[in-house]
Amino acid sequence: MQQIIDFIIRKKDVVVYLILLIFSLTLVFNSNYFHKSKVLIFSNSIANYSTENFNYLKEYFELKKINSNLLEENLFLKNQLEKINKNISLDSLTNINFSYKNAKVISNNLSSFKNRLVINKGIKDGLKNEMGVINSDGIIGIVNYTSKNYSSIMSILNIETKINAKIKKTSHFGTLEWDGLSTKYLKLNDIPETAKIKIGDSIVTGGMSLIFPEGIKIGVVSKISKHENQVTSYSVRSGNNDAFKYESRENYLNIKVKLNTDMSNLNNVYIIESLNREEFQKVKK
Amino acid sequence: MINVYLLIFKRFIFLVLLQGLIFNNFNFFDTYDPYVCLVFIITFPVKVEKITFMIISFAFGFALDLYSNSLGINTAACLSIAFLRSYILNFVFGSFYDPHGIKLIKNYVSESTFSQKLLYISSIILIHHLVLFSLETFSFEFISLIMFKTLITSLISLIFCSTFIYIMIENEK
Repeated sequence: MQQIIDFIIRKKDVVVYLILLIFSLTLVFNSNYFHKSKVLIFSNSIANYSTENFNYLKEYFELKKINSNLLEENLFLKNQLEKINKNISLDSLTNINFSYKNAKVISNNLSSFKNRLVINKGIKDGLKNEMGVINSDGIIGIVNYTSKNYSSIMSILNIETKINAKIKKTSHFGTLEWDGLSTKYLKLNDIPETAKIKIGDSIVTGGMSLIFPEGIKIGVVSKISKHENQVTSYSVRSGNNDAFKYESRENYLNIKVKLNTDMSNLNNVYIIESLNREEFQKVKK
Repeated sequence: MINVYLLIFKRFIFLVLLQGLIFNNFNFFDTYDPYVCLVFIITFPVKVEKITFMIISFAFGFALDLYSNSLGINTAACLSIAFLRSYILNFVFGSFYDPHGIKLIKNYVSESTFSQKLLYISSIILIHHLVLFSLETFSFEFISLIMFKTLITSLISLIFCSTFIYIMIENEK
């Protein structure tokens, strides 16, 4: 016993290091759980508060740009309203599937592999997990944690994010992922080789998950490449001993998508609330 | 001794705010941020006891985590280099290093050769970034990505940190 205590006293640096390391690792792996602790909520809101105030200062320098973006969007929406007004039927008004809320980005990082944003709306404003976030240029991410006044968003530049997307022209569905390096490009997987795609085709959201409504723009195809390592061949023997070889080519295209949104410069965002989500999930089960 | 803790406290607040508010949004080449906050650990007074040093670094990493919306990653990285720093100092400076801390960190930086300075700063930065990025992804799938990003970010951090330390020491003279 004495020896053990002596050993601990001699190696007290290592012991303290290991204890603190284990504590920080539990923080890493249970971060969802620890997000709910009171101390963290308090300290996190101090951090958010100071970044928010610092951002007010930064925003003044970008006021011109924000203004022109808003004007452009307003023009686009007005045009669309004109189009809809022509052939409106009153029934369609009762059939709203999505509602929008606005918010402001407080902090945004691009440098890590799991980038997150923080916005200035929370549970108080009716935000919940798994709501989609967009701005006037395209999609931005998905809400993954909400506190009273703030919520954090899993950005599309996060190696864990997977977003259902489709090619606007051919309606082929695929999954969007980030490769972890460039903030201007995403990868679109699961598009079969048979799809006729050209560089410059636009990619929009697929609308399969009810997080995003269908048809919100994401970006354009900037590079298409094939990878042929998934060829499976098998032979079938017919009656007269001739071996026929069949090849099933389950080849998928590697598509690089140039993002429409400038992720490094985000100010005003919209949060999409899907009104039929609970019903949809009931049916899905 | 009280003066030392006051100095540490001042640097703590200043560097956390500098990193959290300015350098986290730096986005060099789109996606690389310099970690200037490491100046805190590189220039931490040698005479402070190691356990105290580790606990302060733990708190420092935690404060950084709050600003980058990630829990525990920066904490573990800062703690690890705090633990390894005495070994690195011993390895780099050899007989010049004294663990009792009569010499200041200023002496280490000003009275050593260029390669020693470079080795000391860059090894701390490299270890920190390696721990940080591998904990962040935590899978072997991205190992080449982690290496690539560690190297590029380390280079950027090295330039910023050494400039910062140079300014700091020039001011103290």
